[in-house]
Amino acid sequence: MSDKALPAPPHTETEISTHDGDSDLRKLRELLFARETAQLQSLEKRLDNPVVHARDTSEVIAEALLLRAQKDDMLYIALEPLTEKLFKEALRKSPMDFVNALFPLMGPAIRQSVAETFHSMLESFHRTIELVFSWKSLRWRWEAMRTGTSFAEVVLLHTLVYRVDQIFFIHAETGLVLCHVYDEGVVIQDADMVSGMLTAIQNFARDSFAGGPESSLDSLRLGDLTILLERGSTAYLACAARGVVPPEFRERLRNTMAALQIKFSDELDSFSGEVEKFVSARGDLEDLLDVRYVDEDAPLPLWIKLMPVLILLLFIAGGGYFWHDRQQRYLAREAAQAYMEESLAQVGQEPGLLLIEIRQDSSGHWEVIYQKDPLARDPKPLLDAKGIDPKSYTLRVIPYVSYEADMVTQRVKNRITPPESVSMEFDKDGTLRLSGKASMGWILQARQEALALPGVEKVDTSGLADPRIEELKSMIALVEGTVVEFPLGKDIPVSEDVTKLARAMDTLVRIEKLAATMNVAVNLTIYGHADATGNDKRNYEISQERARTIAAMLYARGSSIPIALYGMGSEQSGGKDEVLPDFRESGARQAAARDDQSRRKVEFKVHIVQLPPDNSMLNILH
Amino acid sequence: MNTLDSQNMDANDRRRLVSKKVCMIGAFSVGKSALVERFVRSIFSDRYLSTVGVKISKKNINLNGTDLTMVLWDMEGKDDFADVHMSYLRGAMGFFTVVDGTRKETLNMALHLRNLALETAGDIPHIVLINKSDLPDWEITDERLAELEASGIRVMKTSAKTGHAVEEAFLSLAEAMTKGQ
Repeated sequence: MSDKALPAPPHTETEISTHDGDSDLRKLRELLFARETAQLQSLEKRLDNPVVHARDTSEVIAEALLLRAQKDDMLYIALEPLTEKLFKEALRKSPMDFVNALFPLMGPAIRQSVAETFHSMLESFHRTIELVFSWKSLRWRWEAMRTGTSFAEVVLLHTLVYRVDQIFFIHAETGLVLCHVYDEGVVIQDADMVSGMLTAIQNFARDSFAGGPESSLDSLRLGDLTILLERGSTAYLACAARGVVPPEFRERLRNTMAALQIKFSDELDSFSGEVEKFVSARGDLEDLLDVRYVDEDAPLPLWIKLMPVLILLLFIAGGGYFWHDRQQRYLAREAAQAYMEESLAQVGQEPGLLLIEIRQDSSGHWEVIYQKDPLARDPKPLLDAKGIDPKSYTLRVIPYVSYEADMVTQRVKNRITPPESVSMEFDKDGTLRLSGKASMGWILQARQEALALPGVEKVDTSGLADPRIEELKSMIALVEGTVVEFPLGKDIPVSEDVTKLARAMDTLVRIEKLAATMNVAVNLTIYGHADATGNDKRNYEISQERARTIAAMLYARGSSIPIALYGMGSEQSGGKDEVLPDFRESGARQAAARDDQSRRKVEFKVHIVQLPPDNSMLNILH
Repeated sequence: MNTLDSQNMDANDRRRLVSKKVCMIGAFSVGKSALVERFVRSIFSDRYLSTVGVKISKKNINLNGTDLTMVLWDMEGKDDFADVHMSYLRGAMGFFTVVDGTRKETLNMALHLRNLALETAGDIPHIVLINKSDLPDWEITDERLAELEASGIRVMKTSAKTGHAVEEAFLSLAEAMTKGQ
C-alpha cells in the first residue's frame, strides 16, 4: 500500500484536482506528507542558493580531487592549462615574490657552482704560479719547504687579503657544533672537538678574568688567523679567517647570527643534540665564506703597475740617448778628424808646401810635418784661418826647394825683379818665357841669373824687346843709307850732299849716346871710293882722303866713335848691305865705270859692340 | 646489535644525527685521562687539562641506527672542588664521575662533584665509574657500591688498563641519554 502511495502523489494530485473535494485531499496530503514537503522545500532552497552549495562543495572537494587523482590523470589534464595561466598571471603581477621565494633555493646552487669554478680557477692560478720562475716564487717555494706546507698554500697566504676558512654555528651552552662549513682548500680539524674547545676556552676566559655572564670573547688571534666570535642568545658563530678582515664582514656575521637565532629559535631553545635540524643553516653560513685577493679589491694604482714598463722605457730612452750622444760625439769626432785631415791636405796643396806626415796619438793630439819652400807661405796661419785649434796639433816644418811652377816663378821674380812691362811664364818643362819690353842690360842680366836658379832649365827671351834697339836700328839704317858724293879729284863732298852728311853725322852722335845708355859700344867704318879714271894709286889715295875728311868732320862734331877708315880706290861696294871688306866683284866694277860721280863717294858702316862679353847681343840685333 | 663506530672516521664526512655533550669529572689522578686516551679520539694534548682545565675529545657511537657523537669534556681532576670550572658543566647532557677504586676518598669527591654537576646541568643521565678495577688494593667495598645503587646512582666498575667495561659504560650512557627521544 505504502509502496504504491509514495511514487504516486503527483498523479494523485492531478487526479484529485479534477475532482471535487480538493481541500480534503490537500488536507490528507498535508497530513501524510507535511514533513517530506518541508524537506523538499529545504532541498530546493539549498540547491538554488549558491553560497550554501559552495559551502557544501568545499566540504568534499579535497576528497573528490584526491579520489579522482588516484583514479586517472584527467584531473591533471583538466587543471594544467588553468594552472599554467594562473602561474603566468601571478608571475606577471608580482615577480619579486617569486624571486624572494626562489632565492633561498637558487642561492646555494649558484654559490656552489661559483665556488667550484673559483676553486678550479684557483688551482690553475696556483699551477701558473708554480710554473713561473721568479724570485718571488723561489722565495715562496723556500718558505713552503721550510714550513712544510704546500706551495699553493704559501702563494695563497701571500696573495690573500683575507679568506674565511671555516664557520661554526655552535650551540652556546653545550658547545656542540650545529653546522659547520669550510672552504674547499682548507685543512680542517674535527669540528665537534674544535667547537667544544672553543666553547671551553670562552668559558675559561670568562671564568678566569671574572667577566660577567653577558661578557664574551670577541675574537681570538693566532698569527694571521683570526677567529671572530659572534654571539646570539643561545648560539654563536665562530669564524676562522686569514688576513685582514674588513669591518663590513663583522657586520655581515652579526646579521647572519641574528637571522639564524630567529630562524632556529625553537630548535635552539629545546636543543638536546639533534644537530640534523640545523642543516638548513648551511646556506646562510656558506654566504659568509668569503675570499678576497690582493688584486681583486685593492688594485694597484696604474702608475705602480706601469712602473716596470716605465723603468724599462726610461732605461731604453737613457740607453738610446747615451748611444745617440755617443754616436753624435763619435760622428763629431769623425767629422772633426776628417776636417782636420782635409784642412791639412788643403794647406799641403799650397805652392811650396808638402804634407809629409799626419799622426794622431791616443789622446787625439795631432803631429803634422810639412816640407816648406822658403818662399812658400807659413802653414800655421793657414791652419788658423781654417779654424784649427793650435793646441790640437804640433807642427814641424822641414825646409826644401820646390820645383813647382809657382814657386819657381816666384823665385825668378825675386831674383830678377822684372819691370812692369815684362811678363813671365813658366813651362812645365822648366822653360822660363819672358815677354814684354825691357832694357837690353836687364834682359841680359836676367837671362843669366834666371838660368842659375833651381827649376829653370831654359830662358826664352824672344818675346822681350828693348824699345831703344828699334830706335838704334832705325838710326843705324839712316846712317848706313847715307852716301856722300864728291867732285872729281876732291876730298870735299859735293855741296848737294852736305846736308845729308850733316844729318848722318848728327845721327851718329845720337847713336853713340843711345848706345852708351844701352851699355853697348858703337864702332864706325867709313869706306872711301874713287872713280875709275886715273891710276889706281891715286884712286886709293883720294878714296882714303875722302874717308879721312869725313872722319875728321865727325870728330869735329864732338863724336868719339872709334872709326876705321878704308880707302877703296875705284873698287865699289856691291850694295847697301854688302859692307864687307871684300868688294872685288866684276859687276860692281862695271857699274862704277858707268857713273863716275856716283862712284866718288863715302859709305858708312855702323857696328854695335857688346860691352859684356856675351854673344847674345848679336841675337838681339839680328 | 650496538656497534662501535670507527674512531678514524671523519666526523665531517658523514651525516650526524645526534650530538651529546658529556662531561667527565673526578678527583685528581683517578684515571679519567687514561679512559679517554684509550677509548676515544682527540686532537688536543693533555696540556689543555692543566692550562684551560678541560680537554675535548669525542666518541662516535652507532646506537640502534642513530649516529651519536659524544663530545667528551674531560675536566681536570681536582682534589678541591672549589676549583672546578663549573661553567664547563653547563649544557652537559650526561656525565661520568670517575672514582679511583684504590682510594676511597676519591668517591666522596666524586659524589660531591656529581651533586655539583646535577645542580649545574640539571637531572641528566650519569654513571659513576669505579676505575682501576684491575688493581688489587681495592678500597671501596661492594656494600658501599650496593648502597650507592640503592640510592639510584648508576655505578660501573671499569679498568682503563684492561678496558674492562669501558665500552659498555659509554654505550650505557649513550642509551640513557637517547632514551625518550
